[in-house]
Amino acid sequence: MDMEALYQQRLKRYVTAMRNEKPDMIPIRPFAAEFTAKYAGYTCQQVTQDYNLAFDAACKTAGDFDFDAVVGNMVYVWSGLTQAIGLKYYAIPGIEIGENIGFQYLEPGEEEAFMKPDEYDQLIEDPTGFLFNVWLPRVSNDVCEIGSPSTYRNNLSFLKGGMAMMNYFSSFPGQGQRLRTECGAVSAISGILKAPMDILADKLRGYLGLCNDLCERPEKVLAACESLMPHLAHVALSGADPDKNVPIAIWMHRGCVPFISHDNFDKIYWATLKPIIEEIWSRGHQTLFYAEGKWDAHLEAFATLPEKSIVFHIDQSDVFKVHEVLGEKFAISGGIPNALLSYGSQDEVRGYCKKVIDCVAQDGGYIMDASAIIQNDASIENIKAMTDFVREYGVY
Amino acid sequence: MKETRKQPGTCIPWQQKLKELGEIKGDEELIRKIWQDNDALAYIYIWHCLLSF
Repeated sequence: MDMEALYQQRLKRYVTAMRNEKPDMIPIRPFAAEFTAKYAGYTCQQVTQDYNLAFDAACKTAGDFDFDAVVGNMVYVWSGLTQAIGLKYYAIPGIEIGENIGFQYLEPGEEEAFMKPDEYDQLIEDPTGFLFNVWLPRVSNDVCEIGSPSTYRNNLSFLKGGMAMMNYFSSFPGQGQRLRTECGAVSAISGILKAPMDILADKLRGYLGLCNDLCERPEKVLAACESLMPHLAHVALSGADPDKNVPIAIWMHRGCVPFISHDNFDKIYWATLKPIIEEIWSRGHQTLFYAEGKWDAHLEAFATLPEKSIVFHIDQSDVFKVHEVLGEKFAISGGIPNALLSYGSQDEVRGYCKKVIDCVAQDGGYIMDASAIIQNDASIENIKAMTDFVREYGVY
Repeated sequence: MKETRKQPGTCIPWQQKLKELGEIKGDEELIRKIWQDNDALAYIYIWHCLLSF
């Protein structure tokens, strides 16, 4: 079969499964990040610092394994860009950490949070202005505070950062085409979304700061999340697949119980995320809920979304419960524990894959993947065992 | 979603820029389009700094 025919076959398989229907076989869509470096013979430093090497590694891995869909570069944070801007919240392999450790996000302490508790009104009034004027000078070593004398490094941060981002983003269509023509693989996702409350916790107030605010100024937290909503929806849609085949991915971090209470989930987290998902769906795009952690307490809430509007990815959530609550309306992906892929035997991997397929994939609507992003601790033999087993056992 | 005073996709609104420019002697629509296209890039820059990096 030529590559284009293979690509079309895989695209149909992947999209059919995501629409919660039954394809010819279970699609395999591993979110392989630093694993691709390990497999292709690169260090984490190499694929983080040079995105062309990351693209090479993704292509080699997709081509050698029988993957239906992959991300063009799952080692997404290109440190060349973060260094050009001067961002201070990453530990970069080969600099702050060893060359074979994946990049790390360094959340500041509560007192050093990038947004102060008395700054909610500024954020609510003008989120974009707040990011440029208040947030960026705090997260960059090079960007000057508004009102302070400008510097050479400040000016270079915007010039180098802007050009680097343009370079990087402009390279993804070519990588998608390369995956298609060299490997017959589909680019698995297009566009990025995060929940308003996750953004507050991750990049603005920090998780501890947010927890304090949920007790001391919950009305401000809600108003801030509401002010972020149209912007997050806009950015998500601006990167969406124009053909409406593959989903926008939402990376879900700390919006579930026990990180926050049921009440805060209902009244703030979900109240300000659900309308975004509905808006995206109204434009014809699915959202991939990359539900990192355990979301069992909220499956009933997700079940209120329109049929087929999401694909629910299982990390620590109970695969059987997810299937019971969401399986009628939405496709499911993931659920193969990363620890098993790293430290289990090949027989154990095959056995777990069989259990998941038997439980959730009998009528289609399932996409095979690990629970979480696959880093360089995963065993090459186990990833091969997972892939080969699904190809053999996952035929409808 | 609630209406927002500061529109998504915009850093410096065209209406604000138009006031700075004063009388337009040529094709205002062309100037508006290019202004907004470039303004949107700046918007994407800061929001992707927040979301993606």
